[in-house]
Amino acid sequence: MTRIRTLLSRVLAVFGRAEIEVEMNEEIRSHVEELEEDYRRSGLSAQEAHRRAVLAFGGIEQVKERYRDRYRLPALDSVLQDLVFAARMLVKHPGFTVTAIVTLALGIGGNTAIFSIVNAVLLKPAPFPDPDRVVMFMTTGPGTQVSITSPARFQYLRTLSTIQDVAAFRMGDTGVLTYTVGTATESLHRAAVSAEYFKLFEVPIVQGRGFSREEDLPNGPKVVLISYNLWARRFASDPNIIGETLQLSGEPYVVIGIVGPTFDASEFGPVPEVWTAFQLDPNSTDQGQSLQAAGRLKPGITLEEAKEEFKKAAADYRQAFPNALLHGVGFSVEPIQQALVGNARDTLLVLSGAVSLVLLIACANVANLLLMRATSRTREIAIRAVLGAGRGRMIRQLLTETVLLSLAGGSLGILFGIWGMRTLLSVNAAGLPRVGVDGTLVDLDWRVLGFTLFISLGTGMVFGLIPGLQASRSDLNPSLKESGRGMGATLKQNYFRSMLVVAEIALSVTLLIGSSLFIRAQLALSAVDSGFQTTNVLTMRMYVTKQRSQHTAEVAEVVNEGIDRIRSLPGVVDVAATSSLPLQLAPGGPFRIIGRPLVSGPFHGGALWTSISSGYFQVFRIPIKRGRAFTDRDDASAPPVVIINESMAKQYWTKGDDPLNARILIAKGFAKQFDDEPERQIVGIIGDIRDRALSLEPGPSMYVPQAQVPDAVTARGANNFPITWVIRGNVAPLSLSRAVQEQLRQVAGQPLSEIQTMDNVVSSSISRQRFNTLLMTVFACLALALAAIGIYGLMAYSVEQRTPEIGIRLALGAEAAEIRRIIMFQGMRLVVFGIVIGVPLAFNLTKFIQGFLFGVEPRDPITFVTIPVLVSVTALLAVWLPARRASRTCPLDALRYE
Amino acid sequence: MNDEKSDILNGTLALMTLRTIDVLGPIHGYAIARRIEQVSQGVLAMNQGTLYPMLLSLQQAGWIASKWGVSDTGRKVKFYSITKAGKKQLAAETENWHRISSVIARFADPKGNLS
Repeated sequence: MTRIRTLLSRVLAVFGRAEIEVEMNEEIRSHVEELEEDYRRSGLSAQEAHRRAVLAFGGIEQVKERYRDRYRLPALDSVLQDLVFAARMLVKHPGFTVTAIVTLALGIGGNTAIFSIVNAVLLKPAPFPDPDRVVMFMTTGPGTQVSITSPARFQYLRTLSTIQDVAAFRMGDTGVLTYTVGTATESLHRAAVSAEYFKLFEVPIVQGRGFSREEDLPNGPKVVLISYNLWARRFASDPNIIGETLQLSGEPYVVIGIVGPTFDASEFGPVPEVWTAFQLDPNSTDQGQSLQAAGRLKPGITLEEAKEEFKKAAADYRQAFPNALLHGVGFSVEPIQQALVGNARDTLLVLSGAVSLVLLIACANVANLLLMRATSRTREIAIRAVLGAGRGRMIRQLLTETVLLSLAGGSLGILFGIWGMRTLLSVNAAGLPRVGVDGTLVDLDWRVLGFTLFISLGTGMVFGLIPGLQASRSDLNPSLKESGRGMGATLKQNYFRSMLVVAEIALSVTLLIGSSLFIRAQLALSAVDSGFQTTNVLTMRMYVTKQRSQHTAEVAEVVNEGIDRIRSLPGVVDVAATSSLPLQLAPGGPFRIIGRPLVSGPFHGGALWTSISSGYFQVFRIPIKRGRAFTDRDDASAPPVVIINESMAKQYWTKGDDPLNARILIAKGFAKQFDDEPERQIVGIIGDIRDRALSLEPGPSMYVPQAQVPDAVTARGANNFPITWVIRGNVAPLSLSRAVQEQLRQVAGQPLSEIQTMDNVVSSSISRQRFNTLLMTVFACLALALAAIGIYGLMAYSVEQRTPEIGIRLALGAEAAEIRRIIMFQGMRLVVFGIVIGVPLAFNLTKFIQGFLFGVEPRDPITFVTIPVLVSVTALLAVWLPARRASRTCPLDALRYE
Repeated sequence: MNDEKSDILNGTLALMTLRTIDVLGPIHGYAIARRIEQVSQGVLAMNQGTLYPMLLSLQQAGWIASKWGVSDTGRKVKFYSITKAGKKQLAAETENWHRISSVIARFADPKGNLS
């Protein structure tokens, strides 16, 4: 107890040291004066009194020293001393310090950046209570699974015993409703959700209530919840808003609640401003995959138990709804966070791996710098050892220096990392989930800070301890005998430093091979023939009013009038409308070939489905291989027709069996909205286009005239597949935007969104690849630069060390070229070692990035040859500089060195 | 100075100092030194400076407290007084001292019977 008190008061004394010192002096001075006075009073002279007083007191300075010993904390004190000393050393060698700090900042900054994304995407808990217990319904296929299900499956699965609070919703692509006051129309992000949504996510409703069961049934009353933000923005936080009626997309909705501002759905996609009831039919037999669903695991139920039940349910479902599930399709559940993150996990793992290699190289570099300095400090350290510094104390001193360095590097790294990541994500958010619009949800929180602190301290320890141990172990005698310039770099130290450089080269070779594979894949992707031409094509989306969207004929009217008006604009070459653009999400549907016997199930196959206006193929310059394109005469009154692509023709019709003679029936009996779908005559076959993704081989696709789509399909698709206008001009596409928008406003009075060029659509479709490629390239270049600096540093230092030797050689008649050759050989030997290790390493590691590659093998021979050459050339340059300096050594100067 | 010796001396000195402060406190350092010299009647000669590191230790242990004030001669000095914990410590130490000194006294007694 007393000990703790004493310790505590000593610790506290650290902060009041100056004050204590003053008080101590004051007290001692008073005491001596009192003594002096007493002696004087007894009749002694002033001088004698002073002498006696000091004598009686007993050595003022010794007393003070003992006093200090008692209020000081020896351990803390020496740490402070170390820190001050370390800081002084770092300031004294600014070149070394800046190089080390910047190197570390690059390494740590890169890791902070990637970790901040990993944190936002993978680690941060979802913004509602107990996210681990909320599971998403998954539809599984061979080797894949998607978080999407159909109304019929939802109704079947929601009754399973392992889950509760099952809600249906659509995340991300929520669609919009338009809200009109007077002449101003605004698009509002809408989320259609079932009644249980509010309970499942424990959505805070600050006023009013969520949907009742009745309101969530088909043809139920039109009610809406609005966001707190919208309430404040459009309704001035009117307290009487509940019960008011809003005109949304031309229909009256009664406001029944306000969702609190703390409900943060931003990581799911566009933040909803209005919530409407999903109104799913409880007896739905609709197998079209059009919604997402999630539930909460019942108390005591594990994820595995739920998965097991869903797996079994698939078998039962197959019996209850024969042919509703294609072969190999099943059900499962995943924790919602995992389901949302999807394949972003792989991307982030690869990038984390790459960036940690960069950090390793940075560490090796700084360790080398430190070793270099440690050798020139051998004498200093030896002297300190002679003066009695213990080995532990000296290692601690060196560690203090390196930790200080790495903390400085870490602080700078945080700035680098966060700033770099923000910039990167605002340019290209790469379709990463959970990062928010332009990556605004990627934040500096305690996890990121903790991570950076951890790796900073960790690297400081690692790269500091090794040189520390080495330096403090050195034998005192030779160090003291030598001249101060540190000839004493022992063979062992040089060996160790060479190994560090070899490791750096090996790691950078690995990274460079990885990144060049990414670059080659990216180039292959850009060079791939998509089958459609995108230059000078402008695209924009338009949501029609709910009333209009109920009937195909009314939408057709809008489409025809819009096309007529746009076509007459100057600069416009071709114009068309479509339900979805190539490379953007398109629905798929099964089809049956009329007159052909069925083998298994009610359909022969499946294909992507797009509804288009005439002129669509013209806009994208997609060639008609056989038959004809749609014309304006393919309207509601004409015989139903369909156009298929070559893939579909090849896959489902054998030679001699002409698809142009065939009729197909699409999705009837599969999805409810296709109940009125007629049999369609195939009238044309178009060339294949890469409409799913640039990296995917074209598959079967079918196109139907927009004017012939069943009403129910039009109504159902209005939200997810609004009208997308495509306009080919002979001028810069965006320059047409204003005029086109003006014309369309006159036609439909609806706002337009997602106005962009088709080139942009293409490049966003590969944004993830570009993101990966960019980061991998940055990391690889960093690695190469660091490795080059590393080998340059080693060689330059070695040349400096060998100056006397070189001088002697030159004096004895060696040629400058010979000297150069020796140095170059010494350096390049390390490079070759590095390559010999790095290439097989890469050979074994590239299989992990196979999934990201397109058009290039993970063991691409060109890459595996060019990268070692590139590294050799870079290293040659880095080695050549010190070699040249060595060969220019003046023998006289060199010998005088001694 | 020999460390062991100083430890013993320190222990004794601490006890005397505490006792002095207990009886006369609040009291300043110089007065404590004079008092100890008086009581020991010059038998126990010490460097007066030794007092200060010890006063600091006693204070750190929480047995005494200090306060700045002005001495009879008008100098700025620290006045020390005993705390509750200090009184307890003093009682314990005094008892301890009595026990030990009685043992030593028995050893030291020339007519002492060691059996």
